[in-house]
Amino acid sequence: MLRFALTRALSLALSLVVASVVIFAVIEVIPGDPAAYMLGMNASPEAVEALRDQLGLNGSIPERYISWMGGMLTGDFGTSYTYKVPVSELVAQRLNVSVPLALYALVLSTIIAIPVGLIAASTRGSVADYGIMGATQLGIAVPNFWFAMILVFIFAVTLRWFNAGGFPGWDAGLWPGLKALTLPAVALALPQASILARVMRSALIETLGQDYIRTARAKGLSRGQATTRHALRNALIPVLTIIGLQFSFLLAGAIIIENVFYLPGLGRLIFQGITQRDLVVVESLVMLLVFAVILVTFLVDIAYAAVDPRLRKPR
Amino acid sequence: MKVPATLIFGVILSAFFVLVALLSFVWTPHDVAALNIADKMQAPSATYWLGTDHFGRDTLSMLMVGARTSIAVAIVAVGIGIVIGVPLGLAAAANRGSLIDEIIMRGNDLVFAFPSLVIAILITAVFGPSAVNAILAIGIFNIPVFARVTRGGALSLWTLDYILAARVAGKGRLRISAEHILPNILNLLIVQGTIQFSLGILAEAALSYIGLGAQPPTPSWGRMLSEAQTMIYTAPRLALWPGLAIVAMVLGLNLMGDGLRDLTDPRLRRGRA
Amino acid sequence: MIRVEDLSLTIGEASILRHVSFDIAPGKVTALVGESGSGKSMTAFTVMGLQPRSAEVTGRVMLDDRNLLDAGEKQLNRIRGNRIGMIFQEPMTALNPVKTIGDQVAETLLIHGKTSRAEAHRIAAEKLTRVGLPPDRFPLSRFPHELSGGQRQRVAIAMAIALSPELLIADEPTTALDVTTQAQILDLLNELVDESGMSLLLITHDLAVVAGMADQVAVMKEGEIVEADATEPLFRGMRHDYTKRLFAATSHQPQRSPLPPDDVILDLAGVVCEYPGRRRGLFGRSDPFRAVNEVSFKLHAGESLGLVGESGCGKSTLTRAILGLDPVQGGTIDAFGKRIGPDFPNALRSGIQVVFQDPYASFNPRWRVERLVAEPFHLMPTPPADRRERVAEVLRDVGLPADAMGRYIHEFSGGQRQRIAIARALITRPELIVLDEAVSALDVSIRAQILDLIARLQAEHRLAYIFISHDLSVVRAVTDRVMVMKAGEIVEAGETQTVFNAPRHPYTRQLIAATPRIPEDWQEAKHA
Repeated sequence: MLRFALTRALSLALSLVVASVVIFAVIEVIPGDPAAYMLGMNASPEAVEALRDQLGLNGSIPERYISWMGGMLTGDFGTSYTYKVPVSELVAQRLNVSVPLALYALVLSTIIAIPVGLIAASTRGSVADYGIMGATQLGIAVPNFWFAMILVFIFAVTLRWFNAGGFPGWDAGLWPGLKALTLPAVALALPQASILARVMRSALIETLGQDYIRTARAKGLSRGQATTRHALRNALIPVLTIIGLQFSFLLAGAIIIENVFYLPGLGRLIFQGITQRDLVVVESLVMLLVFAVILVTFLVDIAYAAVDPRLRKPR
Repeated sequence: MKVPATLIFGVILSAFFVLVALLSFVWTPHDVAALNIADKMQAPSATYWLGTDHFGRDTLSMLMVGARTSIAVAIVAVGIGIVIGVPLGLAAAANRGSLIDEIIMRGNDLVFAFPSLVIAILITAVFGPSAVNAILAIGIFNIPVFARVTRGGALSLWTLDYILAARVAGKGRLRISAEHILPNILNLLIVQGTIQFSLGILAEAALSYIGLGAQPPTPSWGRMLSEAQTMIYTAPRLALWPGLAIVAMVLGLNLMGDGLRDLTDPRLRRGRA
Repeated sequence: MIRVEDLSLTIGEASILRHVSFDIAPGKVTALVGESGSGKSMTAFTVMGLQPRSAEVTGRVMLDDRNLLDAGEKQLNRIRGNRIGMIFQEPMTALNPVKTIGDQVAETLLIHGKTSRAEAHRIAAEKLTRVGLPPDRFPLSRFPHELSGGQRQRVAIAMAIALSPELLIADEPTTALDVTTQAQILDLLNELVDESGMSLLLITHDLAVVAGMADQVAVMKEGEIVEADATEPLFRGMRHDYTKRLFAATSHQPQRSPLPPDDVILDLAGVVCEYPGRRRGLFGRSDPFRAVNEVSFKLHAGESLGLVGESGCGKSTLTRAILGLDPVQGGTIDAFGKRIGPDFPNALRSGIQVVFQDPYASFNPRWRVERLVAEPFHLMPTPPADRRERVAEVLRDVGLPADAMGRYIHEFSGGQRQRIAIARALITRPELIVLDEAVSALDVSIRAQILDLIARLQAEHRLAYIFISHDLSVVRAVTDRVMVMKAGEIVEAGETQTVFNAPRHPYTRQLIAATPRIPEDWQEAKHA
């Protein structure tokens, strides 16, 4: 198990290094002179030179890469050109919104999807099953930002149960914070829950057809017991994969949803970074997102091994 | 062979949008480029079937041209995924366990770490927003998807005796991949292609919505929604139509994909053999 | 103890079972024997109440004085695993991969609410010891993937007998196992019947297994029981035609006259094949596995050479090396005087062809038969001008009509497909055909026909065969010489009759002893 975790960790660390090289190359090497790019066409050569100096752009490319990576590893993400504050500070503030939002959505999607998938699979071919399959088919087709707009229209504009956007901050208390994140989380969770429910259903149907279910039935387990004691855990294996994949979709989706609800999260920060050509912010944030995705991939791999003993030892 | 009802419905729905997109090349009810402030924010009428927006542009015409943008972006992005991903997947499977396989698969993992939105952000940060960026971002993300599906399908075929028979007949890996493997995973690829097509439509809408996709004045469903958002208190219908269009198109494609899978899944056909 | 009366079963339009009646006596072994599709497994499932939900069943399955077909699901659940246990054909998939073997055996006890958790695990350990998996060597915490097929089947048996049921149903329990493992499992089942007074319903296609195991036999064909009796009288009597045919096919000896010795066409010297270890990360690999170790032999034109051994002994790897599919890591293989390797000329390569085991995996489903059969023409610099005629000719040769050419492979039965596979092997007019378990997947009656075909083609075309099989009786019937392979090495080689009549190596003796056989004197009646 430990060996398995270490091998995976090593392989993912390697991915992370390669990813950082790619990001560095795209942001700092391909545009030619990032300083000139950031200041736009009308900048004076002196201003560009001053910025180059400030950003440390005068070293060789490998030197700059190493100093960037070194900074990232020690928590120094550089200083935002537009905000004039360390990027790490900005990120810390924004993470307080984005991470709870993604987790909120992930939890919602999982607790909706798993029972729904279970019901559909165990009543396969029934009206309930067809109803669930139809609803999830629709859920997948709905863009989350449009769904978010509908939610705003119904629950904020018409019913006035929620605010249409904004975030009071966690200082205002847990409940106001959660309340502000509820509509965004629902909007994010719906399409993901639809996908997950379908995966759960098909994984369960697949496992229910396996020989060991027949064995369990021959031991005297009822259909329900065979499902909960034997099929469920095996069906979780593909479901876990999807949950892991969904985290990266949720992070990406959060970037969009934050714009619908005017939430001060990472997504908004990235967009401000892009529109203001603040490459320091963009570069660090993209790296952070990629790191999060890779980290989740790793956690899913470990969860896999916990569920499936066949993965614990190399065959 | 019984054709699933979902397939028929899906094909009709998808075909409808493709036809509308094609029609928009030769005819739209109104000119989408013409701003007609006098007629702004009109409710649906005989002249403007679905009404007009804050610039007086005809919503129906915008939707028609928007379909064109969505479909074009999605098709090219799927094309990029297939043209690059499928050969990579075939090569990885044909050399299972080799260094080539390992490099291709690790490369896939790497690209998977960049959600298409992140790729779009990277590209946009440097080159500025455009429809081409949207295509590239979605297309790059499609590559590992197709490589994986191809490799998975191909690997299960490589263990079969008819591949051994072909090798005994002196055929090389390249020829076997082309003659035996590719034709037999084609149904997998068509199903995946349909799914990625629908995901492409959704991704294009999302990118346009946040301003990283097609730029004005090119109409696109995503940007119509982002413009409608500011007017949601006054004219919610402006947010209704583009959203419905996206849902219907994606639903059609997904139903088509599901139907095709049901039609070609050997597990469902076994009973007839 | 169980009486099946007038059992009929239909699924949709298809009639699967028709008026099946038989008794299972207490403490006895009752066998249901038949070829694939005869309905024998469906009968067993129906006794358990595990038939498909869409099935319509009529008749009675009487346990005590109760008709199980009328019993509710709850009552059936109390009976299954408690009074009737069942084991299945495929031990590799019959156990839940994510649960330990101890938990799975204990579950039988717990689900019927008989014991506490601790007690259940104690009994599980006891039962696992009884089936030959003592906890000191096979801890209860093992997972199924850590066990071999035979060991997994033992776990399945322990699960089924955990509550000492009155009846154990065994559905082809040894079909997926090697012959020595099969003998051990059959012995175990016999012992369990003897010591506990349990009844055993044995479902099998193998008459020889039946002869060695069963007290009572029912022969099934197309959903009906055609003949049933005590085992010995049934074998001696053979009143029904179908039983006779089945019997004849089982012990079928194709007519063949060995060809006079000729030139050496294949010469292996010290062949070593290794598999690289699993890749670990980007650069590391674990130790290589030696599948074939220092194998040497010669094969003459027109000769039929058998290669027997159990799964994993290296016979498939050796085959691949001979076919030039994988490079060897040591030694040499020469065919027709040239070294097999990357430079082996295609013209000579066409002299060695192959027929594989699985008729369902041997053909590209998207090609027509003409293209399938003609594929080996790829070995020729230019395809022959009379390609169509050549294909028609070999199809005729294997007993298929010429119009088979235009059809797809799914239109053919397993036996016909194996004929097409032979046609494909013949198309380049080879001197050597490797038959890799070529008849193992076929029902006995089809197998007999294919063996006849193989024998006839050998005489007509002066073919040499390497006949690879795990089935000793088949090898004995069709080869001149035989080699016995174990753990990558040839442990014994010689004239087939000599090796089988006077085996010298202990492993050969073990193999022969393990092979189920119908007693010689039962067979005399057949010819009378």
